[in-house]
Amino acid sequence: MTTKDIGPKNPVAQVGDGVVDYVENRTGAKTGISWFLFRNVPKETSWFQTLGFAAMAVFGLQAVTGIVLAMYYKPSSDTAYQSIQHITHEVTFGWLVRGMHKWGATAMIVLVFLHMGRVFLFGSYKYPRELTWVTGSILLILTMFMGLTGYLLVWDEKAYWATVVAMNITASAPILGPYVADIMRAGPDMGPDTLSRFYSIHMLVIPGGILTFVGLHLFLVAKLGISEPPWSKRSYKARYDQEAAERAAARERVPAGRREVTADPAPQTVNAGGDQ
Amino acid sequence: MKKAQQEAYKRDYAQAKAEGKPFFPYAIYKDHIVAILCFAWIIGMAIWHRVEIGRPIYEATTDFVPRPEWYFFFLFELLKIFKGENFLTPVIMATFIVPNVLMALLVLTPFIDRTPERRLEKRPFAMAVAMIIFTSLAWLTYKGATSEAASGALTFEPQDDNTELAAKVIAANGCQSCHVIGAGGGNLGPNLNTIGNQKRGVQWHIDHLKAPSSKVPGSPMPPFASLSEPDLKALATVLDGLGTTYQVK
Ligand code: HEC
Ligand code: HEM
Repeated sequence: MTTKDIGPKNPVAQVGDGVVDYVENRTGAKTGISWFLFRNVPKETSWFQTLGFAAMAVFGLQAVTGIVLAMYYKPSSDTAYQSIQHITHEVTFGWLVRGMHKWGATAMIVLVFLHMGRVFLFGSYKYPRELTWVTGSILLILTMFMGLTGYLLVWDEKAYWATVVAMNITASAPILGPYVADIMRAGPDMGPDTLSRFYSIHMLVIPGGILTFVGLHLFLVAKLGISEPPWSKRSYKARYDQEAAERAAARERVPAGRREVTADPAPQTVNAGGDQ
Repeated sequence: MKKAQQEAYKRDYAQAKAEGKPFFPYAIYKDHIVAILCFAWIIGMAIWHRVEIGRPIYEATTDFVPRPEWYFFFLFELLKIFKGENFLTPVIMATFIVPNVLMALLVLTPFIDRTPERRLEKRPFAMAVAMIIFTSLAWLTYKGATSEAASGALTFEPQDDNTELAAKVIAANGCQSCHVIGAGGGNLGPNLNTIGNQKRGVQWHIDHLKAPSSKVPGSPMPPFASLSEPDLKALATVLDGLGTTYQVK
């Protein structure tokens, strides 16, 4: 940024600048943030490329509504059901917060699936973004587990029996299955400890995992750059130019790429550089 | 992907980026519009579709289906397809093999499909596989969403001590939330109206009830090991005779 010194600065702004400089000097945060915000993305990115961000935003909303719910929820088999009733019927706007958390879960699942669908249809999982896809798949699985563990917390009969079945399904898996199921249930059967265990998994373990993997996922997205839609005008033109150059080279029996492109009306062949 | 193709991709992307626009504000504003619409949808749904709470557990009712959240419906529906009725459709298919194959496919997609081609119309095989998986999951989810609940108390013909006790145990343990017995019931487990024809024997049923997976590997039916011996005996006797000695009225 260029500074146009037009006299003494407002002292408050001076202090602000000082703080920014101090932090920048020691962490490079300003450089990092400007790199993240002002990095270029391909011109023709589409609206479908907003779904990952939307999933992340809804995850944030789930965290906020979840924190409010946790202030009233009592995770024990004697009190869980009553505390949910209390939230739904007595706490001011409790019904709204619970409703938002419940519909937010649905929205997040839908968004994550849509996001995955768009990544698949755009072919964005291909080189060099394979590992972004892998971290994404882990996020999908974690999100589903969020739903599984949260469902039991209401402790009503539907959720209870559904979880009994889900745990039996887990236990039926070969080799590790029985152990995993016993660990999740806190014993061979569902009981009071299962509830507190699910509570801690739902509140601490999985959110921690999601945060970690969202961090990795985002880092990779920013580092590799968001992909360009495969049908972008620019890529069609680049491909067309490339093929034209190859044809011309073939005509002149010169290996493609060696031919000197002098009077080419479209100078932007694939070789045009740019910062990474 | 070959080295040269990777290099070509990098060059092409560098050009796209060089001709691009800064993320802030040209991309991020779209992100925020969509996120705000999602928030609005969530608040709207929370207002128009109030979240309910079911009945507490341990009440002897049978008129509900043990349903997970809708995004697990496909798993429960798979269970109904592979009920363990014969050795060709073992329950383990639904509980272990299919879900794990799906998960492996999910994680490994970029390592299976390694061509540089990204345009939809040039990837017919990938499209076909995706469509098949998507349609099956959607269909299973739809089936799960429309399955019905059971209702009504049970009486057996001819009546004796065993049937009386068995009817109570069935009601108290929610068997009908997974099995059709009489006219109604869930269809997560097999229909039990003619289970006696299988001639499994009373002891098989007792063992199966105590620990279903000891008889049917991978059974998702919960164990009823806490039932008393007389309860188990009466229930097993009735089950073993259902469709032969006993009929549901
Ligand atoms: C949570 C769902 C669920 C509940 C509750 C349940 N079952 Fe099952 N049951 C299943 C499933 C799934 C199967 C198929 C796998 C198997 O055979 O173990 C099954 C199988 C059976 C079979 C063997 C059928 C055959 O053809 O081999 C019997 C008998 C049976 N259940 C009886 C009962 C009784 C009696 C109760 C109540 C005490 C009960 N079940 C409760 C899910 C359930
Ligand atoms: C909690 C779940 C998830 C969050 C919060 C999330 C977030 C994001 C964000 C913010 C982006 C930037 C671009 C965009 O919005 O499209 C992105 C890109 C990406 N995501 Fe996700 N994602 C999640 C799940 C997934 C899943 C399930 C997959 C696939 C299995 C996946 C694979 C990818 C890939 C490959 C990219 C790079 C796409 C590109 O460069 O065009 N993500 N993700």
